Amino acid sequence: MNKNSKVNKILKVSILAAACSTAMIGCTDKFDELNTDGSKLTTLSKSELPLLFAKAQSASSYTSANYQVAQNLFADMYAQYFANTTTYFNSDRNVMRMDWLPSHFNTIYAETVPQLKSILEQTDASSSENALASIWWVFSFHRVTDYYGPIPYFKAGEAAQSVDYDAQDKIYDDFFKRLDAAVKVLQNKKSESPFGSSDRIYNGNVDKWIKFANSLRLRLALRISKVDPVRAKAEAEAAVAGGVMTDNSYNALLSKSVNGGDFNGLAIISEWNEFRMSASMESVLKGYDDPRMMVYYQPAVKTKTYEGLRNGLTPEQINNDINNFDNNSNVGTRWSINNQGQYNVQQNIMSAAEVYLLRAEGAMNGWNMGGTAKELYEMGIETSMRQWGVTDAAAIANYVTSENTPIAPNDFMKSPALTNIPVKWASSEAMQREQIGTQKWLALFPDGLEAWAEFRRSKYPKLYPVVNNENSDIAAGQYIRRIPFLDNEKSSNAAGVKVGEGLLGGADKVTTPLWWDKN
Amino acid sequence: MFQKLQKRLHRSTWYFTFVALFGSLVALAQEKAISGVVTDENGDRLPGVSVLVKGTQNGASTNGTGEYNISTKANATLIFSFIGYQTKEVQVGNQTQINVTLATDVNNLDEVVVTALGIEKNQRVLTYSAQKVGSGQINEIKDPNFITTLSGKVAGMTITQGAGGPGSAARVVMRGNRSLQGNNNALYVVDGVPIDNTVGGQVSSDFGGYNGSDAISNLNPDDIESVDVLKGAAASVLYGSRAANGVIMITTKKGKSGKVSVDVNSGTSVERPMLLPNLQNTYGQGNGGTSAATSSSSWGGKATTHPDNIKDFFRTALSLNNSVAVTGGSEKMSTYLSYANNYNQGLIDNNDLRRNTLNLRISNQVTSKLSTDAKVTYINQDIQNKFRVGEESGAVMNIYKIPRSVSLESIQQYEDPTTGAPLYWSSSSIYMNPYWTINNLPNSEIRNRVMFMGSVSYQLNSFMKLMGRASVDRYNDKSERKFYNGTLLWAKPGGSYEVLNDNISEQNFELLLTGDKAMGSSLKIDYILGTSLNKRSNERIQNTANGLNIRNKFNLGYATNLNVQEYAIDRELQSVFGKVGFGFKEYLFLDLTARNDWSSTLPKPYSFFYPSVGVTALLSQMMKLPEAVSFAKVRASLTQVGNDAAPYLLTQTYNYGQGGANGFIERDGRKVIEGLKPEITTSLEIGADLRFVKNKYGLDFTYYKTNSRNQLLVLALPVATGFRNQAINSGNIQNQGIELTATAKVLEADKLSWSSTLNFARNRNKIIELNDNIKRSLLGDGFGRSATPVVEEGGSYGDLLAFRWKTNASGQYIVNADGKPVSTSSQENIGNFNPKATVGFSNLFTYKKVSLNVLLTGSFGGVIVSGTDANMAFDGNAAYTASNREGGWILPGVTESGEANKTPITAESFWTTVSGGRYFVGEFFAYDATNVRLKELSLGYTINVNSSFIKSARLALTARNVFFLYRGNALLDIPGIEKRKLPVDPEISLGAGNFQGVEYANLPSSRNVGINLQLSF
Repeated sequence: MNKNSKVNKILKVSILAAACSTAMIGCTDKFDELNTDGSKLTTLSKSELPLLFAKAQSASSYTSANYQVAQNLFADMYAQYFANTTTYFNSDRNVMRMDWLPSHFNTIYAETVPQLKSILEQTDASSSENALASIWWVFSFHRVTDYYGPIPYFKAGEAAQSVDYDAQDKIYDDFFKRLDAAVKVLQNKKSESPFGSSDRIYNGNVDKWIKFANSLRLRLALRISKVDPVRAKAEAEAAVAGGVMTDNSYNALLSKSVNGGDFNGLAIISEWNEFRMSASMESVLKGYDDPRMMVYYQPAVKTKTYEGLRNGLTPEQINNDINNFDNNSNVGTRWSINNQGQYNVQQNIMSAAEVYLLRAEGAMNGWNMGGTAKELYEMGIETSMRQWGVTDAAAIANYVTSENTPIAPNDFMKSPALTNIPVKWASSEAMQREQIGTQKWLALFPDGLEAWAEFRRSKYPKLYPVVNNENSDIAAGQYIRRIPFLDNEKSSNAAGVKVGEGLLGGADKVTTPLWWDKN
Repeated sequence: MFQKLQKRLHRSTWYFTFVALFGSLVALAQEKAISGVVTDENGDRLPGVSVLVKGTQNGASTNGTGEYNISTKANATLIFSFIGYQTKEVQVGNQTQINVTLATDVNNLDEVVVTALGIEKNQRVLTYSAQKVGSGQINEIKDPNFITTLSGKVAGMTITQGAGGPGSAARVVMRGNRSLQGNNNALYVVDGVPIDNTVGGQVSSDFGGYNGSDAISNLNPDDIESVDVLKGAAASVLYGSRAANGVIMITTKKGKSGKVSVDVNSGTSVERPMLLPNLQNTYGQGNGGTSAATSSSSWGGKATTHPDNIKDFFRTALSLNNSVAVTGGSEKMSTYLSYANNYNQGLIDNNDLRRNTLNLRISNQVTSKLSTDAKVTYINQDIQNKFRVGEESGAVMNIYKIPRSVSLESIQQYEDPTTGAPLYWSSSSIYMNPYWTINNLPNSEIRNRVMFMGSVSYQLNSFMKLMGRASVDRYNDKSERKFYNGTLLWAKPGGSYEVLNDNISEQNFELLLTGDKAMGSSLKIDYILGTSLNKRSNERIQNTANGLNIRNKFNLGYATNLNVQEYAIDRELQSVFGKVGFGFKEYLFLDLTARNDWSSTLPKPYSFFYPSVGVTALLSQMMKLPEAVSFAKVRASLTQVGNDAAPYLLTQTYNYGQGGANGFIERDGRKVIEGLKPEITTSLEIGADLRFVKNKYGLDFTYYKTNSRNQLLVLALPVATGFRNQAINSGNIQNQGIELTATAKVLEADKLSWSSTLNFARNRNKIIELNDNIKRSLLGDGFGRSATPVVEEGGSYGDLLAFRWKTNASGQYIVNADGKPVSTSSQENIGNFNPKATVGFSNLFTYKKVSLNVLLTGSFGGVIVSGTDANMAFDGNAAYTASNREGGWILPGVTESGEANKTPITAESFWTTVSGGRYFVGEFFAYDATNVRLKELSLGYTINVNSSFIKSARLALTARNVFFLYRGNALLDIPGIEKRKLPVDPEISLGAGNFQGVEYANLPSSRNVGINLQLSF
């Protein structure tokens, strides 16, 4: 009896299960809920937008290890802020590492664009949030296009199986339009505090964002000064008239956090001992007796002196003791966790010193920059000194009027002095331009992305040739003018890249100059 | 409604278990004990003979010396049966000692195979290929992961062992790889129920990492009665998607009725490295021919070297494996209780595994119609100091970087006694003193696992039997990793500390209606009708202290910065399935199966259906064949197996992360799939089973072809869309191959016999289609610095891409102006990581009571790139770097402009050009992975015991992985240096995932020698 009821029960259950499975009444009720990842968000409301903006700011600055493969192993080496000290990296010998470079390209598209796109779509075009997103869009993309030239731009962030590349001149045109429009919006929003404390640069200070947008516009105007001098002049003058950064309180410094890997990338990679001061920097900083040397670099661990090495040494050469990282200068203590630095040290995005030096060059071009080239050049040097903690007015004045010239760095290659120009304002235009370029190079430290772009545009500062070249596309006397389109783009976005190749005005090689590079 | 049912089913698991366990205890009845010996016609004792009380499930089997014990009533009849012998029935009457002689049966060579759902079938009626491995082949030669001991014993089964020491997961692949991004490992089914074998966290790039442990190795091999390997999808259709890679059916021991008997199995073994890279012992630490005590490499001058400094770093690892099993019971109830204790040392100090396994199984024939079976297994496993594999400062990597002239004594001081700072012979930002690595990165992984299985069967009538079965498999892993302050790469200031807590569970509930019925004299029908519910969940909480405010105080409360991650993954699968078989005149069989699944991971209506058809003909019964052919069977089957997707692919999500002032939010980089479809694998299998000359020779042949379509792939999307990748259904991946098992009784003399089994398999993979837009997908984490395993349309699964020595149009090697080799600018195809063919050749010799088992295995073809070798070359440690040290080495190449090279170089400039250590030109360190080895050797002796206490005893001396008979050569024959032989073992893998073909500081291949004693009381 009991047994029978047990059997009946089992039978009943089995029939129910079978019925349920076949008729699907009620059995799959919970499936959708079960298949939703409870650890993630599935909807976004307006109150989440500041956190999206914070992510976009962080991503475009290349955090943590991304910084190394996106920037340090390429632009920072090409700008000769640093030279490679490892036997296992070859990018310093002009080799294009298609395994590392996607960090530069992909990070902007995958980590910045979706966030900015969400903000741009979910806010009114006349809002301050929309304006900030638009400015950051320009900042993020100018670093991408200045690596490759044509890039996917106008259709970026739209789902499709391929995304066409756009011409660099069209992209720059949009940069200027966006910055102009954003500034116009922000002029009327000065009482607002867009994104509040999630704006990791200016804490929602609209006035500072206006200055940043205009300063960025000035940077971009000089970038096109050779290819389109008329537009360049108009954009530069409009930027200066609208108000640019005039002292260090306006500097764009991106706050970092020790949480969630939002580290200052340079501070992280400085621990790894894979790069040291370049011989170029050593030649100039030592020659000028530049007080910034102590801020930018540390004495070598073993020699206790400031030492640099040439870019492009082979593993065998690096294995020589003189080239060992312990015998050369690491980046300054600000970025060095082994000393007093912190992973969350602020990242330098843009500074007033650079702006003065851009204006100095604009003035040389005959543009109305609100001062003479000499005045602006000297203000640029002083502002940079003050930015890095050099406050002694006499020391600054001595430096500005110094006739010291770069020295031979006494390195493994027994290199000569990098160049022969002094700091003191020279008389010839060529020397003045080199002086402005050299000081801008010093002031931009450690932003190798911008320094390399300006080196290609202006040919300043003069840099040492790479000791060993392992890129067969580069003949003697040539140097890297751009990064070729990425292998992963060629496989995932073949049709888009094809369009880009047509817009390049040359072969898809490192030696093909970008649109604005008229050297 | 179904929720209620689920609850009820869940409850019923416990119900089944406890009813079965405790209900059984009252069912004890008084019976009499019978014992005896079973022999063959020659008087040789037969082990493993089944002794069954007719009309019941009460049974026993003979032990190693052919003896059995059983309890039953006087009016019972005992049935003695054994493969290849005629079955014999004996009335018990008043006998207590029944000795039986079994006659060989040339016609009946039926082997019983455990098939899907745990249903036993006669091999002759199977419509697909299955291979059985008996317990003797598993529990005599020991390995911490018993699955690896199947290597070479099953045709078409490729096993690689993880490189991380005891507890590392094994990768078991049958009939080739088919899944690009998912799992290619076989499904494990224990006593009819799938068990979880999550092999989480496998190393999938050459940077390396810690490999997660697998779950199957937790089983105690001494509890295993037999292993049946069902290789094709046909065999496994009733398990659905998870069985698409084949099924390994494990049948564990049940209690035997009769007097209580006790089996003890005790094994002790020691392990030493069997294959280490060849080292040069002429030149010491330094660079450019100049000795320097701070150099990281051995490019110095001639020096006193320490030939064994690397070898001596590895210890002689001891393993103790002890188990005891008690079995006994009555006609109605039988109990099996076992306990096993394993202690396995790794080759590296401080690395060991301890495991305790307790297993209780109670089978109960409650009435003639109702029976229950219940099993509880508890496992406690403690792995200490599993080490990091791969390039980035793993223990093995740091050992291999010791320069040739540096003695182990000189580096034993690995930290500054006052500051605690690491001491290293050189300066590095990656590598450390290996003594630091093994002492200052302690970690542990503790697993507690409970498995319950309970089933109740009721014979409704002569053609209907109902069975309910429930199982719960649940385990918790607690892992801790400590990184002392100063540990390069991994320790933040003060030290870092990581605690992971995983809870993994799988539940299965099943109802089956089975039966068979004769329809007239020539037709017999059998059927299975079933429904099942499978629930799996995986929860993780991970706490990481990035930096500690008090140095080396490993407690989360001391964290400078605490990072917390928490997630849970849940899935559910509901199924109905059925099978109907038609048997015509006992020689023609037709099987039809069908299954419908509802998976929570698919979009509405969640449902997918897949069928199979199989046919078998026993030719030797159907027609008159030449006399030499004693048995002939052909079989064919066509199967579809559907596969659901991973969870959480259907909804676009946004991820919150720490950082900034208030955190970050970003959209997930994967574009969700619209209209996700289940993946379908279609498989065709044709086979024949032939036996000749009175079954002296046998040949089993299988041809198969499988096509996996609509695979759920995560493929790159143009990143400009804002998505890194997208989930899509696409592709057609084909595997076809043959499997051959040949058996021969070579010699059957009076006291001497020799039998051989040869397993051979060959698989061909072809990527017929990947995707319209994407033609190549990388396996593992992406670009490999040594080599990148890929799947590319038109190629084969696991093609390896690596940088090569650049050649010009006429094939001449290119050198630069300095006379050094020039690398290609991108990675190119250098081969495929899969072997072309595998062979296992096993021989059993017996002479009186002595038996000798010899297993040779061979793997032919395939390419492996060795990161170890590249570092040995870069550091000037490898033997072949001793040539051309003084320079004058002119490579026979041309410059880019075509001029013959005249520039001499030194070994140092050559090897530091083709290898930068961490990054290198893979082709120079690529090897043909072909290898042939003496895999197993065991010498056993069955001791005659004339004692009423000890019933039998067997002593065996065993050796595993004894030596290589052949190893492949380097792909590149570099002029000016000797031929280079494969320096590493391709059977040891960086991880158990799909990133294969790259070796990087794997644990060396080791030889294991042991002694094993089995006693029965």
